[in-house]
Amino acid sequence: MKREHQETEAGGGGGYHVATAGDMTGAKGKMTAGPSMGTEDDDCGVDELLAALGYKVRSSEMADVAQKLEQLEVAMASTAAAASDDASVLPQIASDTVHYDPSDLATWLDSMLSELNAPPPPLPPPPPVAASVHHHHHRFDVSTASAVSEPPAITTVAPLRPSDAYDFKPVPAPAAASGGRVVYGLDPQSEMIVSPRDQKRKRTCSPSSSSSRGAEAGRARGSRTEGASSAKPAAAVPVVVVDTQESGIRLVHALMACAEAVQQENLKAADALVKHISVLAASQDGPMRKVAGYFAAAIARRIYRRRPLSQVDRALDSPALDDLLHGHFYESCPYLKFAHFTANQAILEAFSSCRRVHVIDFGMRQGLQWPALLQALALRPEGPPSLRLTGIGPPQSDHSDALQQVGWKLAMLAKSIGVDFRYRGFVASSLADLESRMLLERDGNEGDRDDEGEEEAVAVNSVMELHRLLARTGALEKVLRMVLAVRPRIVTVVEEEANHNGGTFLDRFTEALHYYSSMFDSLEGSGGQAAEAGEEEQQQHRAMAEAYLGRQICNVVACEGAERTERHETLGQWRGRMARAGFEPAHLGSNAFKQASMLLALYAGGDGFRVEETDGCLTLGWHTRPLIATSAWRVSAAATR
Amino acid sequence: MKRRSIDGSEEEKNKKPRSDEEEEEEGMVNVAELGEDLILEVLKRADARTLGRAACASRRWRRLAEDERLWEAVCTRDWVRVPYGERQLRSVVLALGGFRRLHSLYILPFLAAAAASPSPMTRRAHLRPRWGKDEVQLSLALLSISYFEKMNPSNNHRGGSGCG
Repeated sequence: MKREHQETEAGGGGGYHVATAGDMTGAKGKMTAGPSMGTEDDDCGVDELLAALGYKVRSSEMADVAQKLEQLEVAMASTAAAASDDASVLPQIASDTVHYDPSDLATWLDSMLSELNAPPPPLPPPPPVAASVHHHHHRFDVSTASAVSEPPAITTVAPLRPSDAYDFKPVPAPAAASGGRVVYGLDPQSEMIVSPRDQKRKRTCSPSSSSSRGAEAGRARGSRTEGASSAKPAAAVPVVVVDTQESGIRLVHALMACAEAVQQENLKAADALVKHISVLAASQDGPMRKVAGYFAAAIARRIYRRRPLSQVDRALDSPALDDLLHGHFYESCPYLKFAHFTANQAILEAFSSCRRVHVIDFGMRQGLQWPALLQALALRPEGPPSLRLTGIGPPQSDHSDALQQVGWKLAMLAKSIGVDFRYRGFVASSLADLESRMLLERDGNEGDRDDEGEEEAVAVNSVMELHRLLARTGALEKVLRMVLAVRPRIVTVVEEEANHNGGTFLDRFTEALHYYSSMFDSLEGSGGQAAEAGEEEQQQHRAMAEAYLGRQICNVVACEGAERTERHETLGQWRGRMARAGFEPAHLGSNAFKQASMLLALYAGGDGFRVEETDGCLTLGWHTRPLIATSAWRVSAAATR
Repeated sequence: MKRRSIDGSEEEKNKKPRSDEEEEEEGMVNVAELGEDLILEVLKRADARTLGRAACASRRWRRLAEDERLWEAVCTRDWVRVPYGERQLRSVVLALGGFRRLHSLYILPFLAAAAASPSPMTRRAHLRPRWGKDEVQLSLALLSISYFEKMNPSNNHRGGSGCG
């Protein structure tokens, strides 16, 4: 066993991390290694060894771990019996455990079992960049490549089993260095189930570039010499994917590592990680792959964004495309429908017994919210009121009058169901450009219908529009003042339920990752209304909806400053903002809740969706995660002058 | 439009009682000679499935079975305490595509969903769930959205009617 050599050279206690095993910030090696420790393995078995080293077993894995320990015991016993040379087998196994983190007992056991039971499949040649990438776990300090302090004289023991005979290329150090060979703290779950023997082989790299690597890493630990010799696997080769869940976790960690690198301005490392993420993502399935793909693309965009926006980028920013994707998003999952239905219910209730009503919509788009309101108004027991609708939309790049077309359609619908309807469209690139008097003023030709005696009841509706204003300071306050000036009976606000606007880039990234993962999951689940759309159509809707979300992801991750418009904030934050602006909450009634619940019952995958009520606001989420929140507001008594 | 597989035996069953009835009263009379009003009277009491099947019998039967009045009856039969005036409801629903469409797109799936999983929401698991105001409101809202989506703004007539 050559291990002892390396240990002694690294400096006495460095190789034996008994002392630091309990301290997670120390080097991550599992400590057994040398023959001196081998005897322990021989007699007491695994348990005592682990306990002595302060291994932490996660409680969720207890049963699993126990079972595996049993299996391992059996396997070891049988192997020991089978092998001709007892003494060489067990120390071999024991020494192989050096590379794994004590806290991840389950993974270690898995690797042991897999080694003993079945040889792992032969490794294809690793992609050069991937080999230099490590996963980051934020609990651990970063240290430079462990192999750095290894003397080049390490050789490996002749393999005992055929599994070790396969070809494995060690990572060439210079290439690795140029690729940004940053070694992050070892995350247990990100470990590959690769024979540790291979990892020893990997570490045949020269220490000459260690200093440059150290500089690159930028976060060399002081205790490098101490910890380095202990098992830090030199490379994580994405080869033996044991189970998708594991690689999914690895993927998440890779993403987090990448984001952290970006935050640290370590762009080379981030770049390498992005490529690694793409590789990992390919091994995934379904929503996770797509989410990872979008996030990776967004990070890549952020890394390379020095160059100015190209023609393609500008074309992709067109509002028409956005509306198209938005429409598909509407069809593919219930979030927008939920938003519309709950907001409409609040508006209806606020308008009860009013003869003249005015709705101001901050984001008209294709006007999908209003047919239902028109229908509900038409069927009012006291008969429909006269409805005026003011729609606000962004300037269209191709000069088509989308806003007017929508108004036309709504007018035709209103006519056919007998609701007196008037429409006005406003084009504004930002809501802050509007003035309250513009919204309130009427068209000239009202004729004799304009009885001044009847005051108009106004409702302001904003579905996922307010968060854009946060990109410019003071814009939101200005708009809310304008809303106050309009003197609405009710203001309905629907926003994404997430904090994509606070803290550091890493915080935002993490939050967005969780949020959009849930979103994408729910897209998989929701089947949509079975009656209308065929399977293919559903898939098309879903694909477009994913693209729609992908654009949001890109904005959240890659953009900054005024460009970053997707500044989502949580319901709590919005509550604060509205209260400060002079609004008080209006509780959404049980009708809204019932309607929302029924709406979800229609969706196949409706099992995953949850409607919840918190303090008068309704949220719709996927499993335990709320994703969209509707709230209603009135002008508070204090604010009315 | 609902297309049910033509079920010969069902058709026979539908026709037989009537023709028997007629035979009793007036001697041998062909169903085809029955007054349309009478057929409509009979069909008014039929459930949705029967109506659908009747519509598959022949062109004449289809015309009769697709009459909106029949489907209005089918839809509103199970509605409980719905606060809409009959006339008001009729005019709105007909404008938005009609009761038959309402039923096939938004009531039938609801019933199927409710029957499949009696959720705490409906709180009942019997054959003909009673529909309250909220269910009706929801189905009407969805109908209106569907109509709106199918509208073609360039034409000046309603694009959402009938087939499809």
